[in-house]
Amino acid sequence: MIQAPRGASAPLVLSSEPRAVRSAFYSFFTLVLLALTGCATHRNALDPTAVAHLPRRVELTDTPFYPQEAYQCGPAALATVLRSADVAVTPDELTPEVFLPGRKGSLAVELIAATRQRDRLAYRLDPDPRAILEELAAGRPVLVMQNVALKIVPTWHFAVVIGYDLDAQTFTLRSGTIERLVMSTRGFLRTWDLADRWAMVALKPGELPATPDMHKYMTAAAELEAIGRLEAAKQAYETAREQWPNSAWPVLGLANVQHAGGDLRGAEESYRAALAIEPDNIVANNNLAELLLARGCLDEARAFAARALKHATGTPLEQATLSTVTKLEQATPRSEAECR
Amino acid sequence: MKRLLQKSIVYVLIASLVSLASPAVAQAQMIGTLTGLRAVERDANLAKVSAVLARAEVRDQMKALGVDATLVEARLAALTDAELSQLAQNIDSAPAGGVLAVIGVVFIVLLILEAVGVIDIFKKFP
Repeated sequence: MIQAPRGASAPLVLSSEPRAVRSAFYSFFTLVLLALTGCATHRNALDPTAVAHLPRRVELTDTPFYPQEAYQCGPAALATVLRSADVAVTPDELTPEVFLPGRKGSLAVELIAATRQRDRLAYRLDPDPRAILEELAAGRPVLVMQNVALKIVPTWHFAVVIGYDLDAQTFTLRSGTIERLVMSTRGFLRTWDLADRWAMVALKPGELPATPDMHKYMTAAAELEAIGRLEAAKQAYETAREQWPNSAWPVLGLANVQHAGGDLRGAEESYRAALAIEPDNIVANNNLAELLLARGCLDEARAFAARALKHATGTPLEQATLSTVTKLEQATPRSEAECR
Repeated sequence: MKRLLQKSIVYVLIASLVSLASPAVAQAQMIGTLTGLRAVERDANLAKVSAVLARAEVRDQMKALGVDATLVEARLAALTDAELSQLAQNIDSAPAGGVLAVIGVVFIVLLILEAVGVIDIFKKFP
């Protein structure tokens, strides 16, 4: 334990002027050093054991190249990954959907939105260089955001990683007007780090990422549902159900899509299937209650609604479940004969 | 003719009143899969701003940022509620990727600025 004597800090504050000069000098010196070493930090190094199972070198040479015009790196990079996911689209077609003239650029969230609009899952990768390597090894180019300047004076850029070389310690990108930009691993990871390690791949609805995570995959699928791309969402949920048969969420997603599409019988069956896996699932209980209410089966609906509310208390879903319960309380009792 | 006009106005008014009232009666409280998933992870973005307000805000901002008015609605329709409420707060400040990749150029310029003492960026590093 080192204890700083209390008095020691006072002179430092008092002699602030020469100190500022000195610290500026040190700052500059360190900055030069950082620049020379490529801002080497330990977390930027790839763990050799973690990538031992991957090929030493990958380059997806078939990936199309769209040289960007002016500030259009967003549309160009997005068109590149969408093409690789079998969507026939050009940067020019994407520009009206993702370019913000006033910002002279595109926002990541709109690239995600445009991906969904084309029935593709915008799957965000873990903030880990290994995730990029895994996707490349599986044959998928990766859309990345980079900050090519400094943390406090950022200059944002979108590019597509199409390859890596573990021996040469490089990444290969389709970037801006450069068809084959080879960056050192350090250099690339520095720019990626400064952009919060944002990366995504575009998946066809029947396709899983290289290292699938249930919650991430389901979120991407549910986003398709949320904007009304029901058929694509359904395919993705079916893919998820095969991959994670012990989770209620894929079946529940399927039920919601069936319900939205008017297939009430199918939806009811799926809600019950979801509850067979996870009896306390709030969404499944609530939605099944709503469905049964519409069918006139009030008694059964009340039981499910009550269970939904019980588990939703204190969660963001409390309000929705409460209003289902209230609605059921106010519902006019009908003869059970109507429940069919 | 005038009578016909008056009559049709009355019908339109009745129809609009009825349509105003009906959603409250029949609206199902179905919970979407995305809402459910976000609730499970207690997403901080969940309904921070009402989706309706957020949508209006983002609509105005997009127009202000030069998006063609005919394209705005389609772009809004592609966004989820959580994304809308996030954008309503940060559409002006969220990272917008646009530059040609002139990696290093900006960095070197800043290095020079630092050297001549115009800026002092290093101190702000964590």
